[in-house]
Amino acid sequence: MGEIFNVLLLQTTLRSATPVVLAAMGCLLTQHVNMTNIGIDGMMLIGAFFAVLGSYFFGSWAAGLGLAILCGILLGLFYYVFVIKFGSDEFIIGVALNIFAGGLTVFLLRTVFQVKGAFSDPALVPLPTIHLPLIRHIPVLGQLLSGHTLLVYVSWALVLILWAFIYKTPAGVHLRASGEYPAALTACGKSPEKMKCFASVACGILACVAGAHLSLGYLTMFAENMSASRGYVAFACVIFGRGNPLIVFLAALLFGFIDALGLRLQNYIPSDLTAMAPYLVTVVMMVVVVLWERRKKKS
Amino acid sequence: MNNSLMQTLRALVRLKPSKKLERDYLVSLVIAVALAFVVGAGILLICGHNPIACYASLFKGALGTKRAFANTLAKTMTLALCGLAMSVAAKAGMFNVGGEGQLYFGAMAAAIVGAYVKGLPGWAVTLLALLAAVAAGGLFALLPGWLKVQWKVDEVITTIMLNTAAIYFCTYLANGPLKTTEKGIAQGTASIMKEASLQKLVPLSNLTTGIFYAAVAALLIWYLMSRSTTGFEMKLTGNNDRFALYGGVSTKKLMLWSMVLSGMLCGLVGMLETFGLHGRFIVSVSNEFYFDGMLVAMIMRYNPLGTMLMSFFFAILNIGGRAMERSAGIPSELILIVQSVIIFFMAAEGGIRTSLKNRAAVRKARREAARKEAV
Repeated sequence: MGEIFNVLLLQTTLRSATPVVLAAMGCLLTQHVNMTNIGIDGMMLIGAFFAVLGSYFFGSWAAGLGLAILCGILLGLFYYVFVIKFGSDEFIIGVALNIFAGGLTVFLLRTVFQVKGAFSDPALVPLPTIHLPLIRHIPVLGQLLSGHTLLVYVSWALVLILWAFIYKTPAGVHLRASGEYPAALTACGKSPEKMKCFASVACGILACVAGAHLSLGYLTMFAENMSASRGYVAFACVIFGRGNPLIVFLAALLFGFIDALGLRLQNYIPSDLTAMAPYLVTVVMMVVVVLWERRKKKS
Repeated sequence: MNNSLMQTLRALVRLKPSKKLERDYLVSLVIAVALAFVVGAGILLICGHNPIACYASLFKGALGTKRAFANTLAKTMTLALCGLAMSVAAKAGMFNVGGEGQLYFGAMAAAIVGAYVKGLPGWAVTLLALLAAVAAGGLFALLPGWLKVQWKVDEVITTIMLNTAAIYFCTYLANGPLKTTEKGIAQGTASIMKEASLQKLVPLSNLTTGIFYAAVAALLIWYLMSRSTTGFEMKLTGNNDRFALYGGVSTKKLMLWSMVLSGMLCGLVGMLETFGLHGRFIVSVSNEFYFDGMLVAMIMRYNPLGTMLMSFFFAILNIGGRAMERSAGIPSELILIVQSVIIFFMAAEGGIRTSLKNRAAVRKARREAARKEAV
């Protein structure tokens, strides 16, 4: 058992939870303005691809990240224009976005890099690893908290920042109002549409940054369909946490833990079976949250 | 005689796709398809290809020869069944995104029956496999359906999660306990009984007698959705389930059954793929077929007849896209981009039209105001 349950397991948990955390932070913003963004998975995929593209051609991780953020802004605006301006069905746009992303990234992978399946190259510059100055020397804690890539720390900071933003600032109240009761916001002389636009663009950026973390932080490569439904998992985490960044973060950590545990158990159980676990846990999570809410309503 | 001709015509007109697909919508569809082709041509130009030659090779590759046409028909069948599976659930307000997993379960169940049932004539094994596949697909759809009607657990997320889980599970079965022991076969389960597999209608193509099974299923679904009381009740439930409940429809039962029916159709697709093409369960039995079919259904607003017709068009793109890849070296994923552009436009179609109308109205008002000022 000691081989499976040790500090490394927790470290892997933090690593594999990060893309989900980042994407979920974006998703919860759209959830608060009452937009359901199913397309996060596709946005992650596009972000992952363009991060690799930028890193490869400009020889810097910052360029990769920048390109991913640019894609995020464009995708967020696209989503906003189609869903709010044109009043399209969010579900259809989201699903179509995912298929579009799958097609686009594979098409570009094969035309730009001339490879099938996956692209990795020594010229790819990964995200920098950060060693925390004091904590790194503390035995267990140092191993656990230090030495992650940049975006891991960014994601932790984001959880706190978003929590403070959503629940403690006037702008956060406006954001929630634009989802819960837009008429009230209009009465205050604020525009719910602007809030929705902001949330949608922020969601695009975060989803693409999550993708960048997948392809430049978690791994240093781009593979076809590498987001592997993580965008949907992020969505489920948001539902589970009802939009509260702290609870959403915990849900994402749970996903990461199951994922990491599955990787560890591969020596004992066939990997195809362990790979199922995070997805089944997500289903269970969805059921639990619904039952929990029903019980609350009854009492 | 003239009179009877008129009557026949009138009857035919009444048979046209349901009213939801009005003329404006179809006009938009044509424009969207044209625009999507323009976008595709732009991408081709950027990549240094001649778009006209590429599109020509696309259509030739899909319709040019007897074999190509047969492949296109076979693809139409798969897409139409998947699209109908989506439609039948969506009409009752259930979004079954989990068809891919249901398809895998159907394919696996069929392969198991085909490989391990012995001592029965071929046709009986085929029939048994069909039933097993339909049951497997339906049962696998029952879980998210039940969670939805019983506890209102969002079915979009659960079905997507179960998709991935089901594919991993079937992969585990095919690589582990059920892996074939035949020599020279790298992957997949044991091969099914030879006499039970579906006959090819055109040699060397993908078109098999499975298309008759598909036609029967499609006809039943079309009748159910467009002509029966149940179909009407489903539509009521999908539009407003509380009103339907008030009107005496047992909405929960209806939603659950539509989900199960959807899963059964997906299971059927899995069986037809296994028995028609591969002769065993292989891990790559479906390449996101369900998602393609789902999109077709969405574009046609879950209209069964429209879905079937649109499937043919998407099949041309699909088969032709692969031919284009072989002849011109253009990745067939271009077709996915073209398809999703069509969907983006069609989803936004109403909104774009309103905003254009509004803009025209504003312009007109401005012009009139200017004219008044001039006077």
